[in-house]
Amino acid sequence: MAILVPPEIPPAAVSAALTTTNVRVTSSFRGARIVLYGAVFDPAERPSDVVVIVRGPDAPLRLARKTKVAGIWVNSRPVVFEGAPGFYMAASTKPLGEIASFGTLRRLGAGVDHLAINAPLEERIETRYGVRDVVVSRLGQDYLDWRRAVVRLKEESGLYAADDRGVSFVDKGLFRAEIDLPTAAPIGVYTAEIFLFQNGQPVSRRMRGLTVEKAGIERALYLFAHNRPWSYGLASVAIALAAGWAASVAFRRN
Amino acid sequence: MDIYLPIAEVSVNAPVLIALGAAVGFISGLFGIGGGFLMTPVLIFLGIPPVVAVASEANHVAASSTSGVISYTRRKAVDFRMGGVLAAGGAVGSFIGVEIFRWLRLLGQADLVVSLSYLIFLGVIGALMFSESLSSILRRRRGEAPKRRKDRRPPWLYGLPFKMRFPRSRLYISVIPPIALGVFVGILSAIMGVGGGFVLVPAMVYILRMPAGVVVGTSLFQIIITTSLTSVLQAGRNQTVDVVLATLLLIGGVLGAQVGARASSRFRAEELRALLALIVLAVGLRMGLGLFFTPAEPFVLMAGNG
Repeated sequence: MAILVPPEIPPAAVSAALTTTNVRVTSSFRGARIVLYGAVFDPAERPSDVVVIVRGPDAPLRLARKTKVAGIWVNSRPVVFEGAPGFYMAASTKPLGEIASFGTLRRLGAGVDHLAINAPLEERIETRYGVRDVVVSRLGQDYLDWRRAVVRLKEESGLYAADDRGVSFVDKGLFRAEIDLPTAAPIGVYTAEIFLFQNGQPVSRRMRGLTVEKAGIERALYLFAHNRPWSYGLASVAIALAAGWAASVAFRRN
Repeated sequence: MDIYLPIAEVSVNAPVLIALGAAVGFISGLFGIGGGFLMTPVLIFLGIPPVVAVASEANHVAASSTSGVISYTRRKAVDFRMGGVLAAGGAVGSFIGVEIFRWLRLLGQADLVVSLSYLIFLGVIGALMFSESLSSILRRRRGEAPKRRKDRRPPWLYGLPFKMRFPRSRLYISVIPPIALGVFVGILSAIMGVGGGFVLVPAMVYILRMPAGVVVGTSLFQIIITTSLTSVLQAGRNQTVDVVLATLLLIGGVLGAQVGARASSRFRAEELRALLALIVLAVGLRMGLGLFFTPAEPFVLMAGNG
């Protein structure tokens, strides 16, 4: 078999590791910075670009637009968007548009513009211009505005980020990128995909996992609140009543 | 020192929250109110999700009201029977309010209803209370005798069935008005994250015509029952009570309430009422006027599951 492979140039490969694979959310959690290190192996030293895509667990979200009704600003009926990750970061060695074509980026879901966020409940199938089964969004012309608003609001809260200089080569073939998790980063399993691009094509790909989980007392309280909500409610009221009583007793002595 | 809240899932500055709890507790002790109408907007302003702020605040109000009610009990200034009847209505109101709040969240209209409720209730009550206290301050300055309170109670209070005796309030009235009042306050408590003292106290004085001495204590007693129930219901139905947040607030709150209760004897009642009226008006306008301005960001993001 080996005889059949052209012997001249072995394919380029990428390899990477995270400094932390388990982020523990405790009472002192104020976000986390994770460093990703990686190396490009290419004996031919062809020009290489690295793209790092980090995705948090998917979380459906609802978006409403404020509209003026009888002089006051009220929320419109919320639109449910699916396929939006709870956290998303795209970092690359140079702007994504210079690394690969639109179609390639769209296929890989690379970059906030290529996230597969859509509002399935707002879609209906119609016959248009004589073509059957055309998917039409009820949001109509404004659909792009809505989609852009999702990305903009997520970026403002630090949950989505795109940094076209976020991956830097620190030495020959050795690169690093930083992943900044804000305090609001959702709990769950994250994936970091590392793509090596040469000549506009992804030639090598690595996947790394990352877990964000509540730990210690935070975890205990969170589980208590969700697994036994009624006992949790009773316990929190008991604390409140006991504290009120204790304060009144303490002040009476003075 | 920042601390991560397990349910709200945000990081907050612990000393700031304790100080806020103490300040609101002081006001609460001074005026004999729960203080929820002040704390909930502040929490929302600090970036705590409104649903968590509303639910956890009910827990904080329960604590500071307990702290206050014990000293009123010692002075025999609590009508437990009237408080019990109000609380029975309050319990029904909390159930309805928590369900309404769930439904509004699913519709995405919770923010609007919270803002509108603040604007309407705080605006109207603040304005009424301010004009009433201002006129009695002016009358006293001019050296006129205070206006005699009309002891004639509205006839409809007596026309209704199911009468009950309330010896401490010296009343013999139908239970329908206090129960209806309780239901109304219970609903407000769940939707606005307040104890409802700012509605209850004037209603007890002007509608039920209870003696001024027992009004504040009885209001606090009913608030404890309603907010405790709201807390349990919010935790059970919506899982939105953050016990760490509530505990931080109540540490300051229960102490502030005691200091405030002591300070209250140094002021005249109508001056206190005028000051409270201004605070109520300011909060109502701050929460509600935003509805009239063009928002900088036309879109609002909400959690997917409501």
